[in-house]
Amino acid sequence: MADENKWKPPGDEEEEEEELDETAYKSAKDAVLFVIEVSELMLTAPPPVGRKEQDQDTPVSAALKCAYTLMQQRIISNPNDMMGVLLYGTEQTKFQKEEQARGALAYPHCYLLTDLDIPAAEDVKALRSLVEDEEESKKLLVPSKERVSMANVLFCANQIFTTKAPNFASRRLFIVTDDDDPHEKDKALKSSAAVRAKDLYDLGVIIELFPISRLDHEFDRSKFYDDIVYNTRPTDPEAPAPIFGTAAPTSTSDGISLLRSLLSSINSKAVARRALFSSVPLEIGPGFRISVKGYIIFKRQEPKRSCYIWLEGEKPQIATGTTTQIADDTARTVDKVEIKKAYKFGGEQITFTPEEVSQLRHFGDPGIRIIGFKPQSMLPFWANTRPSTFIYPSEDDYVGSTRVFSALQQKLLKDKKMALAWFIARKNASPVIAAILPGAEKQDDNGAQIIPPGMWLWPLPFADDIRQNPDTNLIRAPEPLIDSMRTVIQQLQLPKAIYDPRKYPNPALQWHYRILQAMALEEDLPEKPEDKTVPKYKQIHKRAGAYVVDWGHELHRQFEEWRMENESAVVLGKRPAKDDMAVRGAKRAKGDDGEGTAEVDDGQMMKAFEKQTVGKMTIPQLKSWLQAKGRPVGGKKAQLVERVEEFFEQK
Amino acid sequence: MADKEATVYILDMGSSMGEVRNGRKESDLDWAMTYVWEKITSTVATDRKGAQLGVIGLRTDRTENELDKEDSFEHISVLQEIGQVLLPGLKELRSKVKVGNTHDGDAISAIVIAIQMITKHCKKLKWKRRIVLVTDGRGSIDADPDGIAEISKKIKEDEMELVVVGVDFDDLDYGFKEEDKDYDKATNESTLKALVEGCDGIFGTMQQAIEELGTPRLKTTRPVPSYKGQLTLGDPETYDSALCIDVERYPRVMIRRPLTASQYVRRTDLSNGHHSTQSSNTVMPDTDDPGPTAAQADPNSLTSVKNARTYQVTDADAPGGKRDVNRDDLAKGYEYGRTAVHISESDLNVVKLETQAGLEIIGFVPWSNYDRYMSMTVSCVVIAQKTNSKAIMALSSLIHALFELESYAVARLVTKTDKEPVIVLLAPSIEVDYECLLDVQLPFTEDVRSYRFPTLDKVITVSGKKIEGHRNLPDDALNKSMSDYVDRMDLSTFGKDDNGEEAEYMPMAETYSPILHRIDQAVRWRAVHPDEPVPPVYEILTRYSKPPEQLVAKAKRQLEKLVVAADVKKVPAKTQSRKRTRNTMTPLSGLDVTALLGSKPRKTKITAENPIPEFKQALDMADGVGAIRDAAQQLTVIIETQIKDSFGDLAYSRAVEELNVLREELTDLEEPGIYNDIIRGLKRKLIAEELGGDRREMWWEIRKNKLGLIEKKVSEVSTVDEEEGKAFLLSI
Repeated sequence: MADENKWKPPGDEEEEEEELDETAYKSAKDAVLFVIEVSELMLTAPPPVGRKEQDQDTPVSAALKCAYTLMQQRIISNPNDMMGVLLYGTEQTKFQKEEQARGALAYPHCYLLTDLDIPAAEDVKALRSLVEDEEESKKLLVPSKERVSMANVLFCANQIFTTKAPNFASRRLFIVTDDDDPHEKDKALKSSAAVRAKDLYDLGVIIELFPISRLDHEFDRSKFYDDIVYNTRPTDPEAPAPIFGTAAPTSTSDGISLLRSLLSSINSKAVARRALFSSVPLEIGPGFRISVKGYIIFKRQEPKRSCYIWLEGEKPQIATGTTTQIADDTARTVDKVEIKKAYKFGGEQITFTPEEVSQLRHFGDPGIRIIGFKPQSMLPFWANTRPSTFIYPSEDDYVGSTRVFSALQQKLLKDKKMALAWFIARKNASPVIAAILPGAEKQDDNGAQIIPPGMWLWPLPFADDIRQNPDTNLIRAPEPLIDSMRTVIQQLQLPKAIYDPRKYPNPALQWHYRILQAMALEEDLPEKPEDKTVPKYKQIHKRAGAYVVDWGHELHRQFEEWRMENESAVVLGKRPAKDDMAVRGAKRAKGDDGEGTAEVDDGQMMKAFEKQTVGKMTIPQLKSWLQAKGRPVGGKKAQLVERVEEFFEQK
Repeated sequence: MADKEATVYILDMGSSMGEVRNGRKESDLDWAMTYVWEKITSTVATDRKGAQLGVIGLRTDRTENELDKEDSFEHISVLQEIGQVLLPGLKELRSKVKVGNTHDGDAISAIVIAIQMITKHCKKLKWKRRIVLVTDGRGSIDADPDGIAEISKKIKEDEMELVVVGVDFDDLDYGFKEEDKDYDKATNESTLKALVEGCDGIFGTMQQAIEELGTPRLKTTRPVPSYKGQLTLGDPETYDSALCIDVERYPRVMIRRPLTASQYVRRTDLSNGHHSTQSSNTVMPDTDDPGPTAAQADPNSLTSVKNARTYQVTDADAPGGKRDVNRDDLAKGYEYGRTAVHISESDLNVVKLETQAGLEIIGFVPWSNYDRYMSMTVSCVVIAQKTNSKAIMALSSLIHALFELESYAVARLVTKTDKEPVIVLLAPSIEVDYECLLDVQLPFTEDVRSYRFPTLDKVITVSGKKIEGHRNLPDDALNKSMSDYVDRMDLSTFGKDDNGEEAEYMPMAETYSPILHRIDQAVRWRAVHPDEPVPPVYEILTRYSKPPEQLVAKAKRQLEKLVVAADVKKVPAKTQSRKRTRNTMTPLSGLDVTALLGSKPRKTKITAENPIPEFKQALDMADGVGAIRDAAQQLTVIIETQIKDSFGDLAYSRAVEELNVLREELTDLEEPGIYNDIIRGLKRKLIAEELGGDRREMWWEIRKNKLGLIEKKVSEVSTVDEEEGKAFLLSI
């Protein structure tokens, strides 16, 4: 499709594309500050238990690795989000650069490893060298002799958030520690920590605790941290608990890697920061409404677009562009109010007033209106347009929405039904017809939620969007051939018989950032990408190879048999379509005289290459052959011929 | 590319067409032209050189055609030779289509001229040829049977299609019959009908033609393969046990976008005199400016709007901290975090993954284990190479085996060399006369966001208790009434098919994109009727915007019961404004942190280091308006100092955040006046450059973040109305 776009006249791009406003959704920026305690215990690896994959990570190194992984992930997935790493309890002390620190404030034994910001390549490098280079880590990771005041640590974090991430919709503080009672003996210090924690709460910073338990010591939140951590919801004991409100203590003793469990509990903290649409009415019947919110769960992650870089300065700098609109005739800058909207028609423009345009686009207020219900079997496999939106009830506008939503979801799940709805996402958004499908909660082996329970709003194609099947012949495979194919399929089920997206990172995206990272850090470029989407050929050969060979023989047998019976009939059997007799006629004529169907096979092309008559092929023939070989098909005929010749020359 | 087509319209403009008949409000010609203009404008709208048309006037006052020397061809005028018609041509046509004063002119002769025009224009080349005759059948027609037979033979031989649409013609299939039909008209109708039948054309009545205009026409697109190559299982390069089938992949669903508007402004270079290249009547006279000279002087001529981009980098030495750089001095690159990674033009491909084209099966999954919501994209069909019978049979065995095992295949697809790989799900599809695989793309790891939500069928409370009965859970009565309602509102058999049998209601084939056809309709309408308002939207476009009335009536009782069982209450607009629940926030332990602060003096000091928490805490402890005002004043001083000391725009975002807190808190405390005084004062100082020089950028920030006056609609006690609030933000 991208290729088609290339040929669009350039003027057509600057148009009011009515896409869902996902940019606003993304701009809810997030700032995460890791706060990791450094102490003797935190620097001690767990005792070996005798498993073979025993991890030797100390809690500190697991936490740092975790931060390192998260940093790399977020560069790809949330390029505008900030991250920082603060160590406390270190012998050394370091804070922000002087001019920002504003004089006298000092936070002894707090070491700001990475200041809160959008990560730079150097940050990734510094973090990595701490993780990988033992020399480096030995130098820095030295516990201080005196106890650090938690109040001081929290206020240090406060200052970092205040100065570096103002106006961030989400600010989170991740504390990784194994010490459940840092101020056991000093009540005053304990109180002032609680006061500083309240400051953070008032500043809108959410504290997430990632406690680490040890073999001989279970982390007890009630000793200290329950005074520090706030619930994000009002304290109504009857209220549903915010899911994973508190992370279960990560233990260093249960065999699974500390790093892995830490990572998974951090990932479990991903919350929908902002709804795609909030409190949109869901009209179940005329006059009967509840409110729901919509969230994007599935969305194709693309690499960030290339940008312009200014190289004349001390170091490369990204140039930010601003657009001004100018009139084509005189190149004068135009004001927004001057601009008219016009549609191209018959080579010229048909204008409408802005009021008319918005009236044309107006099909009612935003909302989801259910038209009725159908069995899910009436939704064909191909009826897809784009990723569906997850919807979940909200009590904001209608009290009782949750229970009604729940009743509807359960009914639809039970009877395998779906609702059909008229859906307008925003004011003046194009209406779509959508199916509403119920979705049950899905959990992984550890009981952690993978897919939330709710419903999915599924935009359906209109009649205009449905294409006709391309014409082709029908030759049904005989039973024995189907049987042998069945055996092949039965050998090759995916693990657990499911497609699990978590097992397939996007190879092109990962490669893109892998290369950028190497270039940014001025390292050697990696040679070979890791690509988990490539099928496991060896396994396929081992498990199903013999059956495929059987199938191949069967195919040969069945096809020969079929050919004896049908050869002449096929040609005649082509269904002539009334509307384009001429096309079919022409094709058939060519097909009749034996060899030369419109398409050329490898043998013919090879011959033509040897005789140097590739140039005699028609452009469509060349194109279709090149396309089948995955070669580019653009350009003039001479270029096409060249590419064909190149192909054989390389062989 | 679609086929070339040539259509000749023959329009009857005889005096009888000027009559108003059968209870209609417009003349027969105007009525018939509704149909014709729709047809012509949809051809014009395609903007294709290959979509051409010609127009012949029948029973015109004048005679202008190639054969006009002969008697029988009188009163026939060629209004438009065959060619691509653009907007000016359309306007010219519009002025030519008028009811004439004559009754003479033979429709059959007009058809002969049309045939001649087409033959001359299209020669022996590949064209779709069509003649459309629109008439009321009240003229005189030369009904010589031999002549008629000869003409229909010619039409057939030349592969032309003849369409006759008659005003008030009888059509029993459609169900229309004109009472007391004129004898001559009846004869003419049967003559034309015989002609049409002789050449397999279409004969219909205007009623039906106009009615069908409301049903959008679907555009057929010639399928273009998005992938041609092999479907493989295993690696044919390494193992001879690999399976390979030659396949082709075509789109099955592709979103059609509505026409998009471009941006234009009025031309200002009129003095240059070269504006005549743009025809004066190309653009509709604007309703704002209906000047008398509009038609000739070209004041409405438009020119397109272009985007000009300028680039800046930060530079500490430059005024404002930014400096412009020349586009030519910039290199291409990418961002890695906040680091700029420069890549030379020749190296741009290194960030691209090298891939080989192919469709490779990774494995199989049962239908029951796949959740539909994972489908990411529009769908495609995969069929075997069309001319390869063996491949067709081979793919058929895969399709059937998948079907029998109720399984999907998961495959890696690279459509062209060096394109990004995607993972697709391949599903078998078997119809009576068609077999194929269907595919949709699946998400990668990075495409899934793991947001978590509480379960819907049970409630676990903060205290860890699992409870059965909860206000967020439906009780039995609600479940029962929801179930009854859903069953009652079933659409699967509510519709009717062509034979009147029960069928699915609103199948996808009958739902048309409202926005697409609405804009299309409006643009085409405006092209022909520049001065009239756009007619209302076609019923079919909004038919499915609400449940069918009949069904609603049928489910009325079920809905009533459901409403009662649900007991949903709308939240009154008023209480929605966050009324702060002060002093109730405690940490998980319930510790009263405020008590720890307790011994502080009544008048709290807010420091520049920790302003927001201290401001909020000061408000928590405030015992009256005086204390609130004092806290707000302290924060304002801090904000102003920050702006004053700000290097460039460095401190602006902090100031914005603090202003935002100030505004929200004072709204909640119902003290909008305090904020409004503060923001007025701040604006004055910013504009008077009292806060360290030119701080206009800061004012833009305030405007952008909507931090202006608190209006009445936000806080009832405010004295500022919407108008004043708007003016405050916009003026400088």
